Amino acid sequence: MSKKFDITNIAKLASISLSDDEKEKLSNDLSVIIEHVQALSDLELDTNIEDVYIHPLEKVLALDEDTEKPSLTHDEAMSNAPKVSDGKFIVPPSLE
Amino acid sequence: MELLNLSIRELNKLFITKKTKPSELYSEIFNRSASSEAALHAHLSLFEETNLDKAKKSDERFSKSENVGLLDGIPLAIKDNINIKDEKTTCSSKMLSNFVSPYNATVISKLDTEQTIYTGKTNLDEFAMGSSTENSAFGLTRNPWNTDYVPGGSSGGSAASVASRSSIAALGSDTGGSIRQPASFCGLVGFKPTYGSVSRYGLVAFASSLDQIGPISKSVDDARIVYSAISGHDSLDSTSINDEQIELPFEKNATIGIVKELMEDGISEESKKEVEKVIDILKQKGYNIKEVSLPLIKLSISIYYLIAPAECSANLARFDGVRYGLRVDGKTSYEMMEKTRAEGFGDEVKRRILLGTYALSAGYYDEYYGKALRARKKMVDEFSTIFKECDYLISPTTPTEAFKAGEKTNNPLEMYMSDLCTIPANLAGLPAISIPTGLSSNNLPLGVQIMSKPLTDNSLLDFSEMLEKELEFNSTPEGWSK
Repeated sequence: MSKKFDITNIAKLASISLSDDEKEKLSNDLSVIIEHVQALSDLELDTNIEDVYIHPLEKVLALDEDTEKPSLTHDEAMSNAPKVSDGKFIVPPSLE
Repeated sequence: MELLNLSIRELNKLFITKKTKPSELYSEIFNRSASSEAALHAHLSLFEETNLDKAKKSDERFSKSENVGLLDGIPLAIKDNINIKDEKTTCSSKMLSNFVSPYNATVISKLDTEQTIYTGKTNLDEFAMGSSTENSAFGLTRNPWNTDYVPGGSSGGSAASVASRSSIAALGSDTGGSIRQPASFCGLVGFKPTYGSVSRYGLVAFASSLDQIGPISKSVDDARIVYSAISGHDSLDSTSINDEQIELPFEKNATIGIVKELMEDGISEESKKEVEKVIDILKQKGYNIKEVSLPLIKLSISIYYLIAPAECSANLARFDGVRYGLRVDGKTSYEMMEKTRAEGFGDEVKRRILLGTYALSAGYYDEYYGKALRARKKMVDEFSTIFKECDYLISPTTPTEAFKAGEKTNNPLEMYMSDLCTIPANLAGLPAISIPTGLSSNNLPLGVQIMSKPLTDNSLLDFSEMLEKELEFNSTPEGWSK
């Protein structure tokens, strides 16, 4: 647990643009936090990752039946969209 | 009559005997919440007009003896990360400053059937990430006991609302202590139920394996009434459970464990003394008390600050400027997303998204997130072993009393440490409650936390109520008690 923390790459993966000042501050903050969580590296763990549940009560997540049910209408689902045309979300082009 | 200090049962009795009406109570509550805003800023919105209509309908039901239950006409405040249809849900974030929910959270649908009145939406740390409510994009909330101090967080608005008698009780959400810590800082009861016993549908997700909705209230009985109304299986939440409650011993044959690791370094002498006070009461009543050790608790902050940010980074990926929320224009979709997320999220949310992205990134997943998951499993096993010997575990709720506004904002790790005592219950999915026990030398409230094994919520509430009666904590914040 001692690899270099590359804030520019992590910000790109997280899709957040950061100013140079933010990069410096967040990089420092995260280095302190990562140093703290290094405490786990000394921990002896015999549990296999396959035996770990996401649910803390070790329940299997329930799947819904594949049947039609009442839900939001199309208009309701689109009601908070920043930009809509003809019932569709409008976004800028993917390529310049 | 000091209506605002009464319990839910007492108010219901007054409605039934026609000594007062829900509309009269609501008028008092609205006047209090509106007048407390300048000093405390507990709320982000208040629903006066719709509520007057609801309160008058409640009056009619009581006049015709058609009232539906204990929560009919009772004004509750709702944390602003829980969706109420046709009302804003901002999560105290610029990202959602104009978001109007098109649907109700399950807890709101359940409270609707009880004819509860919602006073408004309460302030929180942005997306529930924080321990002081200072991370709100819409300004900090202050502690009604002393406005120089924080009310705790992230449900600080809900706690300040109840403590200032601006609502009878409130809903909060608790991912690492966000109900219990503000309840303790504000002299209230805060209850985090067993994970999965209250539906998370309609709660804006922060860390899905840890988040849980629960009540903040003036008494354990009020918490019980709200919990009874909002709990139950929900097919809309894939983590919802449908298991029967387990009954624990309640009287002298119960065994009480004092968590050794939460009575050591990092815990103030005043917080320890509150636990010792509770131990003395229980000893006098004949309970069997023993010190227990859960060594992994000392690593709970490390485990939590890998798992919670990892889940947060995945959950908050949905805020991309496409389907809802803020959009900042860009030449390409990618530029639009990067600019939107840069503008929409505050510092703490960015910090946690970046930390989570790092913990989940290629080459680091196994050694950070994977290791934290396995350590969490080991902690769950430690708790299971201890609960074979003990029925209830007692610790301080918080390492210290409330801290001053601005005191920890420049030191994220120090802020995270304020959740040391509360995080383990989230990691293990346990029910846990904070009850007020006394005041510090600075005249600020202190509390103790009681945890029990999963699915023993009702027994935990009964045991806590017994302690509450013995402790006789009747102090209220000056200026807001009448």
